[in-house]
Amino acid sequence: MKNKKIKSLSTKIVLSTGFISFFAIIAIFTVFEKINKEAFYKIEVEKAELIVSTIEPLVSLNMYLGLDAEVENIALQLIQNPNVLAVEIFTDKKLINQKKSLEYLDEINDSFIVERDIFKPNSSVHLGTIVLVYSSENYNKLIDRYTTLIVILLVILAIVFFIFGAYVKKLLSPLKKIAKSLKNYSPKKKIKIPYIKQNNEIGLISHALNDMQKKILEYSTKQQNINQVLEKTVKEKTLELRQQLYIDTLTGLPNRLSLLNDLSAVKDGALLIINIDDFKEINDFYGHVAGDNILKKFANRLKGMFNDADHIELKRLSGDEFALFFMHKPSLEEFMYIANNLVYHVEKMVFFHENNELAIRVTVGGVFQLDGALEKADIALKSAKKQHKSFLLYDESSNIEEQYKENMEWVKKLKKAIETNNIIPYFQPIFDNQSDKIASYECLIRLIDSDQKVLSPGQFLTIAKKSRLYSKLTKLMVKKSCQYFENIECDFSINMSVEDMLDPEIVEYIKYQLEKYNVSKKIIFEILESEGIENYTEVSAFIKEMKALGCRIAIDDFGSGYSNFEHLLQLNVDYIKIDGTLIKNLDTDREAQIVVETIVDFAKRLGILTVAEFVHNTAINEKVKELFIDRSQGFYLAEPQEKALIAC
Amino acid sequence: MMKIVVTFFIFITFVHGYTYNEVLLKAQASIFPKILLLDKKLKNKLVDGKVVYTIVYEKTDYLTAKEVAKYINTEFANSLEGFTYKINLVEFSELSAHIKTSAFYVLNSEEHISNVAKIAKQMGVISFAYDVSNLKNGLLLSLMLEKSTVLYLNKNNLYTHNIDFVNVFLQMVRFIDES
Repeated sequence: MKNKKIKSLSTKIVLSTGFISFFAIIAIFTVFEKINKEAFYKIEVEKAELIVSTIEPLVSLNMYLGLDAEVENIALQLIQNPNVLAVEIFTDKKLINQKKSLEYLDEINDSFIVERDIFKPNSSVHLGTIVLVYSSENYNKLIDRYTTLIVILLVILAIVFFIFGAYVKKLLSPLKKIAKSLKNYSPKKKIKIPYIKQNNEIGLISHALNDMQKKILEYSTKQQNINQVLEKTVKEKTLELRQQLYIDTLTGLPNRLSLLNDLSAVKDGALLIINIDDFKEINDFYGHVAGDNILKKFANRLKGMFNDADHIELKRLSGDEFALFFMHKPSLEEFMYIANNLVYHVEKMVFFHENNELAIRVTVGGVFQLDGALEKADIALKSAKKQHKSFLLYDESSNIEEQYKENMEWVKKLKKAIETNNIIPYFQPIFDNQSDKIASYECLIRLIDSDQKVLSPGQFLTIAKKSRLYSKLTKLMVKKSCQYFENIECDFSINMSVEDMLDPEIVEYIKYQLEKYNVSKKIIFEILESEGIENYTEVSAFIKEMKALGCRIAIDDFGSGYSNFEHLLQLNVDYIKIDGTLIKNLDTDREAQIVVETIVDFAKRLGILTVAEFVHNTAINEKVKELFIDRSQGFYLAEPQEKALIAC
Repeated sequence: MMKIVVTFFIFITFVHGYTYNEVLLKAQASIFPKILLLDKKLKNKLVDGKVVYTIVYEKTDYLTAKEVAKYINTEFANSLEGFTYKINLVEFSELSAHIKTSAFYVLNSEEHISNVAKIAKQMGVISFAYDVSNLKNGLLLSLMLEKSTVLYLNKNNLYTHNIDFVNVFLQMVRFIDES
């Protein structure tokens, strides 16, 4: 801390008092000087006027009586007055008497004149004028005396202020000493505060400071003890928390955070991630307590497989996932051996729960380097699970990361398209083979990307299903298609997956949109046969609900799956769309022709209309008609467009 | 011729009457009538609207009295500061309390001064004396020519009923006590 220059309070008090007094005195002095000077001047003038007014009746009487000698005498008497410089008496502007003193010439410049008219006694008749030249000497003397007095007064005041200042300084000087003694104060150090015995305000301050010092010392001691206890507790708790942070409470193994720390600390090594297959089933079947017991036992047995010299550390990453971290990089052969040996030993492990023997299997993902080890080992684990292998080593050349990246990009693109309303339906006409007129339109999903490129569903539907965006796409397609055909008198079809039909929320949404746009009688739901309709009961319920509203049902890609005719009968469909794989070579492929003929025959017997997809040239088109397929759809006839070409 | 007449009168006076200073007579003739005007109660003393100035004399001083009247007339030319005036010449022996006058001018007499003073006092009019020593016999005002002109006033008669001089006049006179 910088040493600040102390501004003395006593000096301030004295100076401020001095300044105020000085200016007050100056103001008073100035006013008084003006008033006094005027008063002094008036006094002198009044004196002169008094003289004139006193002698005027005498002069007047003498003039009246013609006693000129007496008038002369009066003038002579007047001139004896040291302040009278001259007396002049006029009768009708004629000077009849003039007397001048010896000082007249010297003091004429510093004098004033008083005039008075002379009237006849006992009358208002004007006899003449008396003029008195009066010296200002007296006035000047008065002013000089007055000024001297003021100067003396100011000097006395200055001395008084000086003494007053010194006295105030002396009175307040103990405060400085007290402050100085407090300068090096600290709660642990006891200082001696001066003037404590003085019986005045200073003494009171000193006493209060001393009391305060005692209390602070007591408080400080207490606080120090508390701090020591707190520090100890904090230390203990920190250690406990650190352990909790890095140790898994169930197994006592180091946790994922510990692994992350180790991965960043170790320069080279290897990693295995072990996942217990279908562990959820053990939890669900035997309960979580049993699951936890198995996890603990599994952890102990894994731990027992390695010793400290191996420099392999076992960690628990999550519920059923463990890791073996190789702090010293082994040879690849050794690493592969350890991994395979681990799988082998685990398969032989038997755990007991309430007299039940439980066996577990594990899948292991490994990585033989530490750069992105956790992520890569995880990828390897997932790949192993996908490929139903017990162990898989991460392969740099497998490009799995790239695929992940691409998938994520697609998810992003899909989300953005949904947000920016760039999921739109395209409409492909389906023609009636008897009249060659458009019978209906199939609504096909399209994504407009940021470059305004139109993307077909083959590029994004799989990702949409994985990322749970599929239901949103279905909703958008239902809404936009229904809205589009609200005022167009034409049938239109929408593809429905089994997943959609099983989702009650989507079913409700479809019903709402059908009602809103009043298109129940126009809409045809195309159900993909290729997906394999496993949940016939639920699908059947959906179809019944929709048909009750007046909707129609088509089986899409018929012939691609393994649908049996019995189920088809139960579903009560209106259309069968024959799969493109049967149509694309229909003009030349005899087997395809037989299958198609069978389907058409079967459909006609049931009153179901048939639709040929993938009609891509004249020959196919001719053949489709020849086989009595009711309707045709394909690029040869019309490609999907942003708008429906014409009304039906 | 004038000088011869004056010398004659002086001679006659020397033989038969009192001696009078001509300069003093002239001074008194020019000042005493003016003093009348310094009386604030002059209006009460007017006789038929006129100032009546009565010169009282011994038979032997008749010429002197006449001479005084002449001096007055010369000085004031029938108008005393706006008042018309009249000069009466009355012998001491003919003077009574019934006389109508505004003021008396009393020449010398050995016997009758006190009587005139008494009448003047009774009437409340101003009495001027040629001789200042006559103020001791009860007359009110007189004038002497010393280094300068000096007016004398009988202090005992100052507060006589019906006479009220302007204050300043009292400042310039010298007071004489009858005792």
